[in-house]
Amino acid sequence: MNATASDLPEPLAALIDGLRALPGVGPKSAARMAFHLLQRDRSGATRLADGLRGALDRLIHCERCNSFSEAPVCGLCASPRRDARQLAVVEMPVDLNRIEETHGYSGLYFVLMGRLSPLDGIGPRELGLERLIRRALDGVTEEVILATNYTVEGEATAHYLGELLKSRGLKVTRIARGVPAGGELEHVDALTLAQALVDRKNY
Amino acid sequence: MADRVDQAESWVLHTRPYRETSLLVDVFSREHGRLSLVARGGRRPQSSLRARLLAFQPLSLSWFGKGAVRTLHAAEWQGGLRDLAGGTLICGFYLNELLLRLLPPEDAHATLFDAYGATLRALVAGETPERCLRRFELVLLEEMGYAEPLHQTAAGAPIEAERRYCWRPETGLVETAGGDEDGSYAGAMLQALTAGDWSHPAVLQGSKLLMRALIAHHLGAGQLHTRQLLIDLNTL
Repeated sequence: MNATASDLPEPLAALIDGLRALPGVGPKSAARMAFHLLQRDRSGATRLADGLRGALDRLIHCERCNSFSEAPVCGLCASPRRDARQLAVVEMPVDLNRIEETHGYSGLYFVLMGRLSPLDGIGPRELGLERLIRRALDGVTEEVILATNYTVEGEATAHYLGELLKSRGLKVTRIARGVPAGGELEHVDALTLAQALVDRKNY
Repeated sequence: MADRVDQAESWVLHTRPYRETSLLVDVFSREHGRLSLVARGGRRPQSSLRARLLAFQPLSLSWFGKGAVRTLHAAEWQGGLRDLAGGTLICGFYLNELLLRLLPPEDAHATLFDAYGATLRALVAGETPERCLRRFELVLLEEMGYAEPLHQTAAGAPIEAERRYCWRPETGLVETAGGDEDGSYAGAMLQALTAGDWSHPAVLQGSKLLMRALIAHHLGAGQLHTRQLLIDLNTL
């Protein structure tokens, strides 16, 4: 491992360089991963290579929900069992998966693949908000559920989406926040508790 | 230990992912100015920092280390301020972008720090956002040493209510030859601005244009993202 990059055979150097594309992976970790795959887990390396190739070649964005899909319309959007009157807007595919795990929602989704983040230069154009507006105005959607994160960026995203969709006559709701399930006030952080009091509801 | 700072009154300006599980946090503290801190493990699901390192919330932060990036070791929420909600959120982002772009690192500005807190509180309390922003911009330019003399012309003549003036970079205010020249400001507006009298809508409108010109001059190249975002939203 003392070899410098220029001493390495070209394919190995290219692999190490490629692995550095992963988040949080620096030159040392990338070299460790490369040697592990080549020396100790060649079948794993093949699966990784095939997986990457397949995903790159075959995955597209679903034209309805914008999440990853193999077909132009993904299985979830095409399912007749889903309630097309509700549309939940989430930031990332992982958020969609989390909501699906609850088994408590039967509507459809739109995945933004990000959030408005003014300080990072991510605005409505970069996010493609007009696609969501077109999707929500399909004539079937009645309620848009804003399920972006409760971060300042997620809140800003929800606010502007809300304004844009309400002005076009849609019912817009926002997922609730507050004390978590099974939460004891004694152990809830102060900010969450303060927000739960602000957002209290009639009982 | 000299490199250790305990319980510094601070605001979070921006957070970015850093390495695998950490956060890089830009903060503005009363005694230490603007600086970058690493919140180790700040992106782990169980991290208690995660819920506290929110922008627009008064915090007490402790950190250690030297160099360009210090390590955050404690964050306490001070409370007492409701969330910026709805349209005022973008005003908050605008304040933060101004500070990130114009404030040099590690330069303490207690007056500006207090003005920032007062601006957020006024926004939360529902005061007219334009008025809050103009007031903050004036303090910011003054604190940065960018304050142009707005009570007199570049030649040193007092501003007169009935006349009109232009602002030119590097020079300052110059009286216009006559008529409503494009980009000129009414003397009465300038007088109200320096007196802090925002009661007339024309003062807010005029000072918005003047502040925009002043800030653009000091920012140099590059639009403000927050302004571009509002422009883009209006086209949807």
